[in-house]
Amino acid sequence: MRIGSAKETYAADTALFDSTTQRAWTAIFAVALVAFPFVVDDYWLYLACLVAINVASTAGLNVLTGYTGLVSMGQAAFMGLGGYTVAILQIRFGSPMLLNLLAGGVVAMLAGLVVGLPSLRVKGLYLAIATIAAGVLAHFIFSHYTSLTGGTSGLTLPPAQIFGLELDDSFKLYWVIVPITALMLLGVANLFRTRIGRAFIAIRDRDISAEVLGIPLLPYKLLSFAISSFYAGVAGGMFAYFFRAVTPESFPLLMSIFFLASVIVGGMGSVLGSILGAVFMTLVPEVLKLIVGWLPLGDNAMLVLSPVRTIVFGLMIVLFLIFEPHGLAEVWRRVRRFFHLWPFKT
Amino acid sequence: MITKRTLCAAAVATLASLTLSTAALAQKAKAESKEDIVLGGSIPMTGVFAFAGIGVDQGIKDYLTILNEKGGIKGRKVRYVPEDTAYKVDQSMAAFKKITSQNKVNLYYGDSTGFARTVNPELERAQSMLMTGASFAKELSDEKKYPLQFMVGPNYSEMVGILLQYIAKTKPGAKIALVYSDTEFGRDPVDAARADAQRLGLSIATEIVTPPASVDVSAEVIKLRRADPDYTIFHGYVSAPIPEFINQAKALNLKTAFMGTFWSMDNSTVMRMGPNVDGFLGVMPYRYYYDTEGKAPMLERIRKMRPEYQSTAYTQGFLSAMLLTEAARRTLEAGNELNGKNMKVALSSIRDFDTGGLIGVPLSIKGNSIPIGRIYRADFKQQKMLPASDWINLQK
Repeated sequence: MRIGSAKETYAADTALFDSTTQRAWTAIFAVALVAFPFVVDDYWLYLACLVAINVASTAGLNVLTGYTGLVSMGQAAFMGLGGYTVAILQIRFGSPMLLNLLAGGVVAMLAGLVVGLPSLRVKGLYLAIATIAAGVLAHFIFSHYTSLTGGTSGLTLPPAQIFGLELDDSFKLYWVIVPITALMLLGVANLFRTRIGRAFIAIRDRDISAEVLGIPLLPYKLLSFAISSFYAGVAGGMFAYFFRAVTPESFPLLMSIFFLASVIVGGMGSVLGSILGAVFMTLVPEVLKLIVGWLPLGDNAMLVLSPVRTIVFGLMIVLFLIFEPHGLAEVWRRVRRFFHLWPFKT
Repeated sequence: MITKRTLCAAAVATLASLTLSTAALAQKAKAESKEDIVLGGSIPMTGVFAFAGIGVDQGIKDYLTILNEKGGIKGRKVRYVPEDTAYKVDQSMAAFKKITSQNKVNLYYGDSTGFARTVNPELERAQSMLMTGASFAKELSDEKKYPLQFMVGPNYSEMVGILLQYIAKTKPGAKIALVYSDTEFGRDPVDAARADAQRLGLSIATEIVTPPASVDVSAEVIKLRRADPDYTIFHGYVSAPIPEFINQAKALNLKTAFMGTFWSMDNSTVMRMGPNVDGFLGVMPYRYYYDTEGKAPMLERIRKMRPEYQSTAYTQGFLSAMLLTEAARRTLEAGNELNGKNMKVALSSIRDFDTGGLIGVPLSIKGNSIPIGRIYRADFKQQKMLPASDWINLQK
């Protein structure tokens, strides 16, 4: 706890931002996000949008896995459902972007409710397998329901439009994707200030005890699945608008593993962890590429160093798991604690 | 006394100065090569397609070395700027954005169908680039949909079309089995194959769909035995499950002849399948590295530059660079601005072009694909793919 910021009320204790310093930093960060598109090139804008999409999906998975303790390997499939819903609505009806994204979220949410049904009976690895099965089923539907999904070739979308403005590049899409993600993060942060969020945590910590305390497991587990897959659906919709193409191969099982890794590396059961994890998993390969590019190693550097880069990335994840099992969020908290307690030693 | 803090400060200072000096050098090099024509590349140097990406990368580099040694294009050097993509569409797009943000790119090489599809709106918006790549998907042949892209060879449907034409000539009325992976890649030529087979009087005895790179194919081989086809065409695989099919078919004494398409036809890929692969047939749009028949000065040059065997992916990269730069050369020689549209027009003006023997016949470009190929047969004893037909041109 920050020195000199003793909480005097319950509301102050549950506040999202607990000090003026924190509010000031949040405001600075928000200003930086607004200024960002004006000072960087297309490459960094592209990465910013990609990171925002991944943050949204990781935040959803963190609700399910990090806060409720239910392992899911179906996040990519839910993203796929959202992506396809958005693509179909955009192509066939040309409906407004925000409505399509909402519809994408709702379709994924309904699928999440169905996939979540076994969660009352199975947990851990068994649930993971059940969600993998959902992914396989979704892939099958994407590939074979050709009249709706375009089969293995998938669907290509026209650019999204808002008030007649075509969102056909990263700069324009940034102004939609980043605010939506920020809103979604705010939603998750607030969720855990409510009874529902605390029920999720109780289920994660000991589901039998939670039930004894009067938390009905099935509705809450299903609700967690629904929220998580809604987030994935909206993220999938943004993915569809961002890449302007969805195919069955756009949402592989590996993508679900990517999000699970983001949750673990970032920090389970932490909003900040979702952000840091998704940023880490998306940007570290790119940053490693930049570092390799700076090294004066001649023409064949890419040939020699590409595999090394992949190994370093893998190694970083393993080292994180060994030395910081609570994820990047914990590292962040330690750094903050140092400044909070300064000049005293932590 | 040297403290930890001093050491850390020294390390940070060294790193900062190194970064600044390399950045300054990079800036200087960029300024010096202002007039260079840039060929960007989203190249899969890691991931599942790295086996091809490494070859493609070397092929592009070697052709540009030859070109630049001769003075480049109208005195302008061609600079190659590749980025690794790990064969992932999001990373390929990131590479594209990075390369195009930092360079004025006119020519581009992409690594997959997914990337070609995703980058297409960007190409149309920029209007400054001509692109080719590793994908031979039929969809990319659509000039209206992909006006600034082309492929260096026949599309997958045309590859199977070349195989069927060979079959119709060798054994009229033959029975065919199609074995393909349950992927976009695998399903790509299936509809066209059915139509072509009917047109050529061939019958499709069975169609078998497998997961990509599946291992256990016993049930599928039994299905193949029941259908008893004269030819079995594989598509949508690089290697597995082709060797497994061939070995089990051999054990069951099946008389069917096995065939493959471009990405399963590299010499080293085929020979790694083992002795039972002897007689394996397939379509190849380019001459193999070791082909010595006919006049092939470019192949000789490649053999001189690289005495060890180079894959067919290498040839694909080499030829991609050749055709991209040829389009740029024709555009500049006509006095036109170097943009995507002009370069595509210039590319389409190519008639009876000599590739230096990389393709055995002069090529003319009409549309987004070059439907020329030849059937090669595996000779396991010689460890080589040997020609089994003349060059087949579907344009004729």
